[in-house]
Amino acid sequence: MNWQFNSDAPIYAQLIGQITQRIVSGAFPAGERLPSVRDLAAEAGVNPNTMQRALTELERDGLVYSQRTAGRFVTEDKGLIDEAKHSLAGDQVRVFLTAMTRLGYQKDDILALIRQETHVEGE
Amino acid sequence: MAILECRDLTKHFGALSALDRVNLAVEPGRIVGLLGPNGSGKTTLIKLANGLLTPSTGEILIDGEAPGKNSRAKVSYLPDRTCIPTWMTAAQLMDFYSDFYGDFRRTAAEEMLSHLNIQGRQPIKEMSKGTREKVQLIMVMSRAAKLYLLDEPIGGVDPATRDYILTTIITNYNPEAAVLISTHLIADVEKVLDDVIFINQGQLVLQSSVDQIREEKGMSVDALFREVFKC
Amino acid sequence: MLRKLLKHEFRATGRIMGPLYLVVLAISLLGNGSVRILQSSNSRTLQILGGIVLFLYGLGVAAVFVMTLVVMVRRFRTNLLGDEGYVMFTLPATVHQHVWSKILVSTVWTIASVAVVCLSMLAITFNVKYVNALFRQMRDLLSQITAYYAINGAAFLAESLLLVFVSCAAGCLMFYAAMAVGHSFAGHKTLLSVVFFFAFFIALQFLGLTSAFSFDGFSFGGAPAVHAFLWLCIGEAAAVAAVFYVVTTQMLKKHLNLE
Repeated sequence: MNWQFNSDAPIYAQLIGQITQRIVSGAFPAGERLPSVRDLAAEAGVNPNTMQRALTELERDGLVYSQRTAGRFVTEDKGLIDEAKHSLAGDQVRVFLTAMTRLGYQKDDILALIRQETHVEGE
Repeated sequence: MAILECRDLTKHFGALSALDRVNLAVEPGRIVGLLGPNGSGKTTLIKLANGLLTPSTGEILIDGEAPGKNSRAKVSYLPDRTCIPTWMTAAQLMDFYSDFYGDFRRTAAEEMLSHLNIQGRQPIKEMSKGTREKVQLIMVMSRAAKLYLLDEPIGGVDPATRDYILTTIITNYNPEAAVLISTHLIADVEKVLDDVIFINQGQLVLQSSVDQIREEKGMSVDALFREVFKC
Repeated sequence: MLRKLLKHEFRATGRIMGPLYLVVLAISLLGNGSVRILQSSNSRTLQILGGIVLFLYGLGVAAVFVMTLVVMVRRFRTNLLGDEGYVMFTLPATVHQHVWSKILVSTVWTIASVAVVCLSMLAITFNVKYVNALFRQMRDLLSQITAYYAINGAAFLAESLLLVFVSCAAGCLMFYAAMAVGHSFAGHKTLLSVVFFFAFFIALQFLGLTSAFSFDGFSFGGAPAVHAFLWLCIGEAAAVAAVFYVVTTQMLKKHLNLE
């Protein structure tokens, strides 16, 4: 999974999203120790201070916690992770609906299209 | 205390004013981009910080003192071309740096060299241009200096080398040191920078943090640069 | 710091001078054989070979002196005025230390070159009887000088060595100053360095003439005269060296134009 950045939003904000995605998808499993700030920053190709800022925000939200000598860990709270997953999913849906509306689709047409697409994949 | 400070720094070359009353400060723990078009005064500023040039008027201070023998022990400089003596081997070059700089971390250098499959007994003149550049970068980044001055480190290198250089800068990050990167290739460096300084025709145009620019102006530093320096 | 610079200088220049000295000494040993052959043999081929070896020896001696000068000049230029200057001048060392390291090393090589050539000449002519006679002659000469001039031979020797050192330094510094000035310009650096060198040379000739005129012979003779003469020469060389030293260091400090 590649670290993707766009050019408008501050990088620390995008990092929060990227790390949350990795937690939700299991790339950073619950309860697991995270790499050091410097290693994470090098992997993402970003400034260590920026990565630190993103991690501090995630700590504030509770998705991540730190133990002074042991390092940083992903939360074990599955409920919190599910909440985050739900929130990210909600964002994706909103983005999708905006795009579809711009194409001129109405709500019923959108639902029909989804059923069609998922039905095809199910087969 | 700021690691690098310029107070009304001015440098003339005859009638040409390369730097005109520049005021700036770089704090430790920050990676700062010195951004500007060619001929804007970036290299002049770096040479002044190294003591390779003397100011016409104004001051430049490294950790509170004027450039000299003491400040050079704290500054690690990467010139914009390969300047290491070619008659040496990689090992002899490391001997050289260990001898002259107390803060040279030899084990770190050896690790980075072996990571690139560069042998100690390989003569530098037999290395390709790209390998030589990397060797020079490794020597510079292996020092535990207080100020790193990197003059156009990624200009003229391939994308893989560019990534390597930026990764090396990130992994050698030291919260007590500052890194000043001068470049005109902003898009590639932007994610690595804390702060940026825009310089044009010897004058400071802007000094801000990357986050601030993105939050307040809703555009990347690269986009802002294009706007500010539109031809 | 100066010690580290000296170590580095010797390493960088020794890798050229060392092998050169060894080659010349090797040829001189061969030359020794050639001399004997030329003296004793009737074989035409051996005589030609012997002649060739001696010719090569002559070339070798010339090469030693030429290379000493070339290495001195090139080292200063590539290490301080070329791209390597970016590394050297950002070392935690002063300009004075850089210049002194170059002077000291060049002087050492100059003296070493003379010593090696003398040694090689000795090697070529090495013949036990001859060498013993030579040493006996030198000892007699020295005691004669001491007796005749009533001067302390040791002081005389020390003063001569000092003169050699100061003259070497002055010579080196003339080259260094010319290069430092020439390279402070934006273009035609090499050409200007040569021009300035000749300008300095001519200036020195002119001054040398004037000092010779004012130095109206010795109204006093004997031992003091020799000492005075030596010290005058040392003084002159030191003054010349000092002027070029100031020019060199000032140019490197204030007008360094690495590009």
